[in-house]
Amino acid sequence: MLRQLRLIPILLQMNLRAQMEYRGAFLIDRIAMIITYASSLAVIWLLVARLDTLADWNWGELALLYSFHTLGYAIGASFSFTQMRDLEEQVRLGTFDALLTRPMSPWVYLVFARFNIGYVSHISLALVVMTWALLTIPIDWSIGWVAYFLASLLSAALVTGSIMTLLGAAALAWTRSNHLYSLYFGFWELSRYPLNLFPSVIQGILLTVVPLGFMAAVPVAVLVGKPVPLLGELAPIAALLAGPALLGLTALFWRYATSRYQGAGG
Amino acid sequence: MSAYFAFAKSAVMTQLAYRNEVWANMFGKVVQVFARVAIWLAIYAGATSIDGISLQQMITYALLGGIVTGAIRYETIISMIGRALQTGDVAVWLLKPVSFPLYIITSELGRAAYRLVVLVIPTVAAVALVYGMLPPASLFYGAMFLAYLALAYAIIALISTLFGLVSFWLLTSFSLEWLMQALLNLLSGQFIPFWFFPKTFGDIAAHLPFAWIVYYPAAVWLGRMEQTETLIYFGIGCGWALLLGLGVAWLWRRASTRVIVQGG
Repeated sequence: MLRQLRLIPILLQMNLRAQMEYRGAFLIDRIAMIITYASSLAVIWLLVARLDTLADWNWGELALLYSFHTLGYAIGASFSFTQMRDLEEQVRLGTFDALLTRPMSPWVYLVFARFNIGYVSHISLALVVMTWALLTIPIDWSIGWVAYFLASLLSAALVTGSIMTLLGAAALAWTRSNHLYSLYFGFWELSRYPLNLFPSVIQGILLTVVPLGFMAAVPVAVLVGKPVPLLGELAPIAALLAGPALLGLTALFWRYATSRYQGAGG
Repeated sequence: MSAYFAFAKSAVMTQLAYRNEVWANMFGKVVQVFARVAIWLAIYAGATSIDGISLQQMITYALLGGIVTGAIRYETIISMIGRALQTGDVAVWLLKPVSFPLYIITSELGRAAYRLVVLVIPTVAAVALVYGMLPPASLFYGAMFLAYLALAYAIIALISTLFGLVSFWLLTSFSLEWLMQALLNLLSGQFIPFWFFPKTFGDIAAHLPFAWIVYYPAAVWLGRMEQTETLIYFGIGCGWALLLGLGVAWLWRRASTRVIVQGG
């Protein structure tokens, strides 16, 4: 265990060097990503500019929701998305088998050797928008509020990381899982908006089967003091528990999937 | 010509082999379309019309909005070009008696035709059954909608190819995919029709080629433009398509002289 922990910084360093090999392309990619995320924020702005509020949320609150969503997603996804998305290919080609023979957990190796620093673009944009939003909307600042903010952000990041890992593990168990990502991103787009914007069927899905409501809509509603549909009084605690609960579930499923793994390539 | 038809046909056949994924995609699409309509319902919040646009018209616009972008994948075109460049496959294409950009475009159009029939039309029909959808404003607008639709596919395919070819200079196609998404988000009318844009911004956007991908086909269906205006803007759209086509041909000529294959 301790030895694995000591290996993590070495894996990270190795990976950082590899990613920095093409510095120009890296930089262009980051700028493009910031522009794209800013454009989807602009779409929300255009909607609100016309009408002042969207489902009773004003522009400042929506900007906080958007930046919370982007930040939590980026933190969670940097530990999971590209790693897990490429797992299907590794299973198909048989290269995952090589990881199983290494003297360390395949999960630790996958996640840290391919830790994605590309999310720095999401994080920078999110932090700028978040700072602006927090200064704009009236907030009863207190230690409790800040602690809840940080804890629910961590929980949101765990929600993203867990779901991505769950989808990756599905590839280990059933060899194909990439089509699940397009399903995931369909819901992901919705999870940037307040829950009360949607009909209750979609709200229900976002709080249970595809729990992306916990990526931002639930915690930010709690933070700015808006009612949360379906959850009501349970919302504050549900937002904090969603991440750890999903993480536990994912750990169990990952174990099951690796034990079932038989290899598909060779 | 028959070679390109064969590319399109083979792309359709490949899609047919992965039917499970089609179901997953379809479910995701239905949710997305439902949600977009829900967003507009919330915006209207009981009002029957905003700026002279009725809720029914806006729902119809939102449903039509996915017809082109839901079927064709600009990112596939860009990344196919990027990958051919990265793996060196592009060198092989230079030896073949067919045009590489046309191969990329026709095979994606084949996949788009498949998705349109299997994925997009059923999804739109399903959501339309729940929320209702207006028919074309008249027979003329219905016929013009089909012409605009064909033009929309041509324009998005050409712009994507143009973006893909730029990767010969940037050596990364990843950022071009993202930039294309940013431009589509704002300038195609995909999420918000230009009626709801600030005036100047809307006027500029309405004359850029992206507008023909989502905005004009939907606006024509709804009969938002006079008949002569509809024809004039169709002409302008064709002009853009021609210009983009020339751009692709020119960029491909320049790109193919710069290819240095590093792998093999």
